[in-house]
Amino acid sequence: MSAFHKLIARVRTALERPAESAPPHQAAGGIAPPHAEAARRAELASAFAREFAAVRGEFLGIHAPGEIPAKVVELARSLNALAVAVGAGVTLDFEPIGRALEAARMAVVRADAKKRAVAPPLHERIAQADLGVAEADAAIASTGTLAVVGTPASPASLTLTPPANLIIFHAERLHADLAAAIAALGPEPFVKNRVAMITGPSRTADIEKMIVLGVHGPRRLFAIAAWPG
Amino acid sequence: MSAGPSSSGFLESSRRGVADADLRRKLENATGRHLEHVAATRAEFPAFDSERDAARRIKEDAIGRLDELLVELKNKLEANGATVFVAADAGEARDYIVNVVKRAGARQVVKGKSMTTEEIELNPALERAGVEVVETDLGEYIVQLRGERPSHIITPAIHLSKEDIGRLFADKLGIPYTAEPETLTDAARKRLREIFLSAGVSVTGVNFAIAETGTLALIENEGNGRLSSTLPDTFIAVMGIEKVIPKLSDLPHFLEILARTGTGQKLTTYVNFISGPRGEHDADGPRAMHVVILDNGRSAMLADPVLREALYCLRCGACLNVCPVYRRIGGHAYNSTYPGPIGSIVSPNLFGSAAAELPFASTLCGACRDICPVRIDIPRILLHLRWREGAAHPAIKWPQAAVKARASVARFARMARFPRTLRLLTRLAALVLRPFARDGYMRRMPGVAGNWTRWGRDFPALRARRKTRSAPQAANHNRDGAAAPAEHS
Repeated sequence: MSAFHKLIARVRTALERPAESAPPHQAAGGIAPPHAEAARRAELASAFAREFAAVRGEFLGIHAPGEIPAKVVELARSLNALAVAVGAGVTLDFEPIGRALEAARMAVVRADAKKRAVAPPLHERIAQADLGVAEADAAIASTGTLAVVGTPASPASLTLTPPANLIIFHAERLHADLAAAIAALGPEPFVKNRVAMITGPSRTADIEKMIVLGVHGPRRLFAIAAWPG
Repeated sequence: MSAGPSSSGFLESSRRGVADADLRRKLENATGRHLEHVAATRAEFPAFDSERDAARRIKEDAIGRLDELLVELKNKLEANGATVFVAADAGEARDYIVNVVKRAGARQVVKGKSMTTEEIELNPALERAGVEVVETDLGEYIVQLRGERPSHIITPAIHLSKEDIGRLFADKLGIPYTAEPETLTDAARKRLREIFLSAGVSVTGVNFAIAETGTLALIENEGNGRLSSTLPDTFIAVMGIEKVIPKLSDLPHFLEILARTGTGQKLTTYVNFISGPRGEHDADGPRAMHVVILDNGRSAMLADPVLREALYCLRCGACLNVCPVYRRIGGHAYNSTYPGPIGSIVSPNLFGSAAAELPFASTLCGACRDICPVRIDIPRILLHLRWREGAAHPAIKWPQAAVKARASVARFARMARFPRTLRLLTRLAALVLRPFARDGYMRRMPGVAGNWTRWGRDFPALRARRKTRSAPQAANHNRDGAAAPAEHS
């Protein structure tokens, strides 16, 4: 405690002298083109698809919630997945996804606390799965980013340890840019949970600046947008 | 007499760097690619400059009321369940971390990429305490296997080719030799994932600390930072006092410019937010979270009105890639955790006299200032540090030296009005200095001219004869009657 007070005292003393330099700045201008809501969302979705592909994400299109379980099974089959880890949805009910996967004879690791087995620990079973499925709390069109909030029913491991990852987001939660997404999420999830903004599969350029995917996190990242009607 | 670069470390190692043609090729290749990416991403983002200005204003505000914000950050982090430790210097930070690791009973520590832990030399301290430290950023892992320090803030293994890394992995990991980046990366992934699942403690750096919510933001591409803050039971984050920003809504301004400048991406793959340990029902996340807030010379930088600006640095590494000096000599030549232009400012203030010569290792060309995402006026601060270093050594009376220099220039200007005389004198000088020239350069000069080379600068050897571009010119030149001194001798 006293070390902290000493630091604060040093900082205060230091700040007694005003800073020099600081060139004058022009004010930043915001851009907000007016659009009808539906047109705006369609435009955002196409921007998201473009940016997501640019970071080597694989966008599986916009689907009604009812079609999503079949899409997930199709993806899991194409990956030859034996085990799929599924979290709880945010706006969507993920239970039909789990049932559809089981019907397709795949092992399902459910992260939902009520159905959780005791051993081995959940995060280890998720790490053994071939595909992790989670819902994003927000998506960002300008960068192709998915923001996931780690909760007991949808832990961070789902989008981190399996070699492939599917993140589903609701089109209503697709925002134009980072600032809009962070404003929409509000401070609460940041304080209470761990939040990750994910832009493409895990990557490195540490060997001669050549891009290699899947160095620590998922090698392949898929996204589906849900849009009712 | 150490006002200029001394003959110690830096000069020796920079000469080695310059002489290494292979190193230069690798550096040119990597930094060149980076600059192309940066130019491309910036060109398609028209708001880049306004975002830079916004970010700069936030940093000015945050550093200007750092006392207030640090108190807020500490209170919020503690309210979120994290343990906060304030370290006045590197030693206090090391001791605290070693203690936390010992109390956790961990034999192995995984590390995310962090310049601050390099700065406090954490790894050797942990190893002395019998703890194995594993760097998990691929580049850091590579340099750790080689027993080296990183040569770049963002790309630690920038000085190595894929063949170098292939040989290293064959030797240290026992895999068959390959120079295929995919195979090499995969070998590292397997090895490191095992360690991640078993290590009890992780240590990472911090990119931004948001005072309003008590949230740390970790920015990365590989996912090792996210694994570090998700799998081990104890998570330790180490941050300099300057990392604090006031509000969550300030962060987007930094995210919009940081990756665009640092790696030429719009946004890095992962931006991880962590505010405290896991909740009661969470399946993953650390059970204990420690935040080490480090001063280590930063409050002294804050007290200097010119230097204060250097605390705005986001550690994006772009100034290294544009620096003509860095690109010739590489990061290891600086003998410091922080190489390159910003390192030449930070190092002397964090590491004292050992790095006092670094502010002189710059051409002051200003490319660093132009690329800096928060517009830090690096050349101005370097000049300030040179002046400060000079003032600390009264053996050199700078004002008198300046008067002398001005007088010499005036003498030269008078002489330059008589080209023939000047030419004759140059030839005479060339003759006198010929014994000192080697490979077209003079590394030592006699008499007054020795002041130039005394601090390690070299000077192009004077030519007795003018360079002849074409035959008629040469003929003309000879008809002038002033035969070259070389022919007289």
